[in-house]
Amino acid sequence: MFHQRQLRNANQQTSLGVTPCQTPRNSVSEKSTAWLMLRLGGFFLFMLLVGCSEKKDSNAPKKMAIIISTLNNPWFVFLADNAAAKAKELGYETKIFDSQNNTALESDHFENALVSGYSAILFNPTDAEGSVVNVRKAKAAGVPVFCMDREINATDAATSQILSDSYSGCVELAKLFVQQTNKKGTYVELLGLVGDNNTWARSQGFHSVVDNYPSLKMVAQQSADFDRNKAMDVMESILQANPNIDAVFCGNDAMAMGAYQALAAAGKASKVKVFGFDGADDVVSAIKDGKIVATGMQFPKVMAQTAAIYADEYLKGKREFAQKLPVAVELVTKKNIENYAAFGKKEQ
Amino acid sequence: MPLLEKKNNKTLPWLKYGIGSVVVLLLAYNSVYFRKLNEVKAEASGKFDAAAFAKTFLEKQLTPKLATAPDIDELTTLLSTDKNKAFDTYSHATAIGNIRYFLVKGQGTITKINENDLTIQTPKQQLTLAMEFIYGNALRDASGEFDITRFTKTADINNVSSELNKLIRASVVFPFRPKAKVGDTVQFAGAIALNKEHLNLTEIEVVPASLK
Repeated sequence: MFHQRQLRNANQQTSLGVTPCQTPRNSVSEKSTAWLMLRLGGFFLFMLLVGCSEKKDSNAPKKMAIIISTLNNPWFVFLADNAAAKAKELGYETKIFDSQNNTALESDHFENALVSGYSAILFNPTDAEGSVVNVRKAKAAGVPVFCMDREINATDAATSQILSDSYSGCVELAKLFVQQTNKKGTYVELLGLVGDNNTWARSQGFHSVVDNYPSLKMVAQQSADFDRNKAMDVMESILQANPNIDAVFCGNDAMAMGAYQALAAAGKASKVKVFGFDGADDVVSAIKDGKIVATGMQFPKVMAQTAAIYADEYLKGKREFAQKLPVAVELVTKKNIENYAAFGKKEQ
Repeated sequence: MPLLEKKNNKTLPWLKYGIGSVVVLLLAYNSVYFRKLNEVKAEASGKFDAAAFAKTFLEKQLTPKLATAPDIDELTTLLSTDKNKAFDTYSHATAIGNIRYFLVKGQGTITKINENDLTIQTPKQQLTLAMEFIYGNALRDASGEFDITRFTKTADINNVSSELNKLIRASVVFPFRPKAKVGDTVQFAGAIALNKEHLNLTEIEVVPASLK
């Protein structure tokens, strides 16, 4: 009897993959059987709970993380809000993360997004080079990343990069610049952040036209970091060395406004033609007032919405996306200003 | 031995040497070739050769499409009556947004020679032919043949436009411009850019790809 029971217990345990009990004592054997049953029951209960929770998860809405370089700038707030609104419209839960222009903080946001089970990341990078590692991390975890407005220096990390066509926008601005200056004179160029690819795309687009006119001479080219106050300071010092310039080309609208303020303070605002890029609210007004000649209007809403739509399509199975998708930039002057409002066109 | 046979025997070695020399020259010619050092360097570094791409694109993709372009007068009539149909049928663009490009052709009379362009009168409208500012993406995008998914670098995409425009300036505009006179009839084919949301048909400028 003892041997039969022990043998039966041993068989049961063996069939479950557990090392057979070697103890000869009956009470111990019964105890181990009860323990085994308890474990089995626990296992089935665990499986039931996991099954239930998995079922619950599959019904829960998927989530998109929106990681933005900085929310201190209204331009990026607008970008983030539009990405979130579109993702919500497509049925996703969203959360906006502010990297505060800090790649370390951005890295933490990526970690959090991956651990928290976000299905896709709509991303405005802090640094073209420094952000690559974060995108690669997400890719390794199987989470697609869609860059908005700013690109990263890698073409095999993000699923797609949706960017303003800054180069072509500045080609159009440069054509107008050459016409407005009658192909001659001296000018200043204010660059944005030197580490940002947009700075150079804009500058290269501009020079691809203007450099064909040797009578147009650039007397100064300096960075003002896309910052209005810095642009004003830089422009003031440039004017001391070059008081008779004819035009200023600025890599964004904030710098254009700063340059205009410096020119106004020096009593030269009516003589010097200022060009910006972005489509910011104050520059739209300044074009109406004749203070700024033109800007390149960007469309952050289009970029944000396209990124959300692409992420949704990816999660539904689509895999073919252009690595770089340009968004057209439109030339805004006093002639067509009535068609535009800040950060895009007026709602019709 | 007959006289003719003797003569053939004499000419045969010369024929053999002649054919041999031609073969040797052909082999030598095909064994040595010259290329620009910067092209070789670019190829070795894996760098995209935008100039070569633009040349092939112009010859193989853009130029053959010019013959199938809609007549400018017919296109503007369609744009006035059914804007969406005109844009859906004939426009292309690499970038998303409202700026779209059309391939067009037509014929007109030069009515004015301006500093940067020519004013042309077609049977139905007045338009300008760009002579100075051959820049931008109109020629690259208008045919719909440019496939952006083949490119991963933004600079390469931009350089295609830049090189294509250079080719057109050198091969189409520069030879034509000094000869153009008011009253001349010109046959043109090229590209135009239009804003779909704010359509303006009163200031159409054609960037030429072909001028006769």
